[in-house]
Amino acid sequence: MGSPRLVGLINAVLLPSPTALFWAASDLLRSGTLFRHVSASIERVLVGFALASAVGLTLGVVLGWFRTLSDFVKPLVEALRPIPPIAWTPLAILWFGVGNAPSYFLVFIGAVFPVFVSTYSAVRNIERTQINAALCLGATPTMLIWDVLIPGALPMIFPGLRIALGVGWMCVVAAELIAAQSGLGYMIQQSRLLLQTQFVLTGMIVIGIIGFVMNAVMTAIERRLVPWQESSKGT
Amino acid sequence: MTQLRVDHVSKDFALRGRADVLRVLEDVSLDICEGELIVLLGPSGCGKSTLLNIIAGFLQPTMGQVLHEDIPVSKPDRRRTVVFQDYALFPWMTLEKNVEFGLKAQGIAPAERTRIARSFLALVKLRGFEDHYPYEVSGGMKQRAAIARALAPDPDILLMDEPFGALDAQTRVLLQEELVRIVAATNRTVVFVTHSIDEAVFLADRIVVMSSHPGKIRSIHKVALPRPRTAETRSLPNFINLTQELWDSLKPQWHDEGANAVRSQHST
Ligand SMILES: Nc1ncnc2c1ncn2[C@@H]1O[C@H](COP(=O)(O)OP(=O)(O)OP(=O)(O)O)[C@@H](O)[C@H]1O
Ligand SMILES: [Mg+2]
Repeated sequence: MGSPRLVGLINAVLLPSPTALFWAASDLLRSGTLFRHVSASIERVLVGFALASAVGLTLGVVLGWFRTLSDFVKPLVEALRPIPPIAWTPLAILWFGVGNAPSYFLVFIGAVFPVFVSTYSAVRNIERTQINAALCLGATPTMLIWDVLIPGALPMIFPGLRIALGVGWMCVVAAELIAAQSGLGYMIQQSRLLLQTQFVLTGMIVIGIIGFVMNAVMTAIERRLVPWQESSKGT
Repeated sequence: MTQLRVDHVSKDFALRGRADVLRVLEDVSLDICEGELIVLLGPSGCGKSTLLNIIAGFLQPTMGQVLHEDIPVSKPDRRRTVVFQDYALFPWMTLEKNVEFGLKAQGIAPAERTRIARSFLALVKLRGFEDHYPYEVSGGMKQRAAIARALAPDPDILLMDEPFGALDAQTRVLLQEELVRIVAATNRTVVFVTHSIDEAVFLADRIVVMSSHPGKIRSIHKVALPRPRTAETRSLPNFINLTQELWDSLKPQWHDEGANAVRSQHST
């Protein structure tokens, strides 16, 4: 107890030095382990996010448009929304076992609400005169959805999508800590059990970097798809 | 020949949190002939937009009906297109795509759509701006594009709700002259809402003067000015006389109504 060597050992476990981290990262890279875990996590977040976007957009457009329907369905959605995604983990495991499915599900739960809420309020906020303009020009229901409601809502939907992807990314890591056999969360959990803190930290840093990159990619897509938004802000 | 008949139309709006209703239009009847340019003139709040929205099919009348070629209007359709005061262009589409919208709705092939859209943009003097987004052009240009968009689907009737209200005085005069030219070129029926007497006299075949609380037709004036109307029209004795006459008859009413509106706001 208290001997200098022991303290040094504990510190190396609790907080590895930058050089140790560097070597850990290069080990993980060279062996292909990191790549395997990263691609597993990314695949999961993308699948869950895609499902959440499809459901959130559809639900948001439908409830945003049909007010009476929304009076019935919206309270249900609002009751589910405050439940933290992590709290769904036990159910996710019960329902889907282990493997990819519970992770998809948890990402979906985390991401669907931001997509829904932003789409819903975006559709509600579309100028009535723009909808009237479309109607008097003879817009078909398909055109009303694809050429008016969705593009009109897009500037408000995009921040929601960006938040959703961020939340989804947190959820996938949380899910993998418990309910997966691969992925960055799994890697962190395994390394913790083996007291390989350098790998735990490397995993966390990689999670941060990937989250940052995903956000940047979404912002770039937003700029391309919503070119009228940036420039019209000033006026 | 009567193309559009407003037949004893009344409109009530429910007031939030109150049992009674607000009567905005009362027993409005009006026959509009093919190719006619009708101006609805009246003070703010007299129900001009409400009447136009009922004609367009955006709103249903509480009583009475609107007949378009003898068929009751129940919803908007492309035979009655609308130009709005705030343009209501789709900001996510280029001017050309905006103009193509009504053509796409009819299922016209893309190449043909582009051709028609370009010819209408040329008609409103926007050649060269086809690929611009609305935020990249001026208010006057936006309104020209909105006019082109409303004309492209070949409507019977063009409904315009204070389309030049947001523009500066010079642009406004220019666009009035352009509108007269375009309407002559396309031989379209137009219902045009304004509260500018000048604008009304310059544009109209007939001016329908409305009064408010509730909105009613107060008088109808035929405008005996030759066409084509040009900048010179404004200095004709007839123009000056009619403008003056409308001013004199409307001023006391507008004054009273302004006072009434203030009073009724205070009492609620
Ligand atoms: N949806 C609505 N609910 C309740 N009242 C309404 C509604 N729409 C319009 N009104 C009322 O109806 C009256 C007429 O409105 P309208 O917009 O038709 O007037 P307007 O003649 O077009 O006025 P302006 O020249 O200012 O545009 C106003 O008193 C307005 O407050
Ligand atoms: Mg109005």
